[in-house]
Amino acid sequence: MGLGLLASRALRPAASRLLRYPPRHGLARAIGSTPERQSPEASAAQAQPDPAPELPPRKPVAGARVHLPNPEDAIEVFVDGYPVKIPKGMTVLQACEVAGVDIPRFCYHNRLSIAGNCRMCLVEVEKSPKPVASCAMPALPGMKIKTDTPIAKKAREGVMEFLLMNHPLDCPICDQGGECDLQDQSMAFGSDRGRFTEVKRSVVDKNLGPLVKTVMTRCIQCTRCVRFATEIAGVQDLGVLGRGSGEEIGTYVEKLMTSELSGNVIDICPVGALTSKPFAFKARNWELKGTETIDVTDAVGSNIRIDSRGPEVLRILPRLNEDINEEWISDKTRFCYDGLKRQRLNDPMIRGADGRFQAVSWHDALAMVGEVIHKVGPEEIVGVAGKLSDAESMMALKDFLNRMGSNNVMCEGNGKHPNADLRSGYIMNTGIAGLEKADVFLLVGTQPRVEAAMVNARIRKTVRATHAKVGYIGPPTDSNYDHEHLGTGPQTLTELAEGRHPFCSTLKNAKNPAIIVGAGLFEREDSDAIFSAIETIAKNGNVVRPDWNGYNVLLLHAAQAAALDLGLVPQSPDSIKSAKFVYLMGADDINLKDIPDDAFVVYQGHHGDQSVYRANVILPASAFSEKEGTYENTEGCIQQTLPAVPTVGDARDDWKIVRALSEVAGVQLPYDSVGGIRSRIWTVAPNLVSVDEREPTTFSTTTMRPNTNQKISPNDFGMAVENFYMTDAITRASKIMAQCSAMLLKK
Amino acid sequence: MAFTLRSVKVPPNSASLEEARHRVFDFFRAACRSIPTVMDIYNLDDVVTKSHLRSAISAEIRKNLHVTNPKVIDMLLFKGMEELNNIREHAKQRHHIIGQYVVGNHGLVQDLGAKEKDMSDFLKSFYKSNYF
Repeated sequence: MGLGLLASRALRPAASRLLRYPPRHGLARAIGSTPERQSPEASAAQAQPDPAPELPPRKPVAGARVHLPNPEDAIEVFVDGYPVKIPKGMTVLQACEVAGVDIPRFCYHNRLSIAGNCRMCLVEVEKSPKPVASCAMPALPGMKIKTDTPIAKKAREGVMEFLLMNHPLDCPICDQGGECDLQDQSMAFGSDRGRFTEVKRSVVDKNLGPLVKTVMTRCIQCTRCVRFATEIAGVQDLGVLGRGSGEEIGTYVEKLMTSELSGNVIDICPVGALTSKPFAFKARNWELKGTETIDVTDAVGSNIRIDSRGPEVLRILPRLNEDINEEWISDKTRFCYDGLKRQRLNDPMIRGADGRFQAVSWHDALAMVGEVIHKVGPEEIVGVAGKLSDAESMMALKDFLNRMGSNNVMCEGNGKHPNADLRSGYIMNTGIAGLEKADVFLLVGTQPRVEAAMVNARIRKTVRATHAKVGYIGPPTDSNYDHEHLGTGPQTLTELAEGRHPFCSTLKNAKNPAIIVGAGLFEREDSDAIFSAIETIAKNGNVVRPDWNGYNVLLLHAAQAAALDLGLVPQSPDSIKSAKFVYLMGADDINLKDIPDDAFVVYQGHHGDQSVYRANVILPASAFSEKEGTYENTEGCIQQTLPAVPTVGDARDDWKIVRALSEVAGVQLPYDSVGGIRSRIWTVAPNLVSVDEREPTTFSTTTMRPNTNQKISPNDFGMAVENFYMTDAITRASKIMAQCSAMLLKK
Repeated sequence: MAFTLRSVKVPPNSASLEEARHRVFDFFRAACRSIPTVMDIYNLDDVVTKSHLRSAISAEIRKNLHVTNPKVIDMLLFKGMEELNNIREHAKQRHHIIGQYVVGNHGLVQDLGAKEKDMSDFLKSFYKSNYF
């Protein structure tokens, strides 16, 4: 005892210095057990006579901001003697975060419900007999919270010892190593020795499908994955079985996890129990280079980080963006990256007389295209931009073909009569985050779960939080929230427009109704009539008001919104059927049978996908992970991709190819750099230049659109996306996506 | 490379430019005399002629036409002697000779001639690489 006291005295100045500068990382705290922690009561008694140190004001953890909607509801608590004002109902842990103290935790996650079962977040509260679990304890006025006392430290050390009791010591072969919460926190808060000498328990691994690898012995039963699956993904696949040391996470029966968001359990798992199967044993996280970019596999534009090593993309992780994807991404976004390594076009190629492709130099390929394009009439030239095209290349393509005398430039997926005049007619006016304010949803011909998984997660969040009603018109679908299936086709829409349907009253009584129209309807012959029917519904339901615009179009592809902003509208809808020269810029999903047999087809793109079979000349381009490009997502937010890896082979950026071709063809475009092409875009669509901003629409279509004399055809609405996992050239080339569609799609 | 050191003697420095000039001619003659051996050991008969090699040697020498300092000429001569010895001792491989003296420094790039001239800088760098 005497020795311990001496030692604790010797340590005191160091300890108080630690107190004064709040540790930013857990690592700043002492490692190992100190004599103070061995006898917390004695040293607590010693700590009493110390005068309270002058505390500098602290910054909240990760720049968290507190929004006090009602100043009367604010309460004051003291964290380590420092007073903070927080709204009523916050937990002790949140109060500590506002005060700038990061509490160690495993089970608590701020987007999931509170479980309070890991006990790592124990803190000392004055006048409470025991340490309290701060994540589950509401903060009360005047509460004095102590996070750095010997009692709290000893509590954490004890919890850590219990957690490590059954956790295997296999960090060297664990994929989570280096980014593992348990590893970090045991370094920061754990003891340097354990007292457990018996045999560790082991748990049988579960098969959750081709995406998530499980090593269940590593699981610490924080139940984050179970809560994520039930609350956010909306599938009841995961659960807790057994009790005590027999407790384990699993699917109750032999079953795969069939959620489109299943990859997110990898991120939220604090240990290495759930890891990425395709990434297993590929790399260590500290040898990867992270590039913050955006996703282009759907129209949401989820914010992602591409982790690469050398020329290879090794994994894709989500990035926080509260307005778009929160902190989740869909499985397609996360696991499509192996498609970037397969089927790539790496050399310019010309199809010879024998029908085989022959690799040639850029010089020869461009010379050939430049020669052929002058042999056809201007009205016989057609350009089609693909679903992954960026704004720069679409601008260059439109300018190039316009200079050649043709005005037949289109973007696939936008249909034959795209309405590009009024921006509110093709973007999501409410915004993705704005959907949370809606209380009634009407989904017309769209299955958000497969078309835009992140938008679907937002709708599910709203339905769960506010019990918003969802009405759905379209083919029977598998949705993960309660919805009312109103009908399968346009006749239900007419009933709604004429006010004969019972759902009309729900729509009318709603405070913030939101109509979401699928972009799959663009492709219908009667799209104008259908959209005018939807606008009648919007008018009758008072969906568009000065303070609320609930009229939304959910686009399917990353290029669509920017293409319409730039005015990629074909002059004559059926121009492709009489074309002699077709320029496909990554367009793989057009009907190739429409192209006449004698037409000369140039395919510019990064994957040897469907259109390559018809192409006469191939110009290899770079994929979204290799170039800097501007994309507009479905809510009109402008974002940019950044190059993470070098281009493959002899490929070039899309806009550069068009620019070079224009010079070879003798109609040189007036820009040489990205800056130059952006200033050209600025003259056409100024909103496309302000990156990371969302330009709201000024006019509403409901009042401005001209009347149509089209007749609505009685054909039912179709599925816009047949296979969630394979929608574009990259995902179709991916082996993981092929496995997913073979195993996870319900047949 | 012991054999090189053995055969290449370091002569005393040239006293004047005139002496250095004579040494260059001596070196050129020595090189021309070894051409038949070189063509034999590297099996060059089907890719190049003797006169072509001779002009390649003289072109290499003419590269240093502007040098007037006898000390520098001596140094260049020493390097040339060393190179010649390496070639004669079969210290090189066939593709070294072809690459350096038959194809030349331009490699396999063909002269595109007049077409290059009216190209913009953008197109020139576009043909070279994606990154500019």
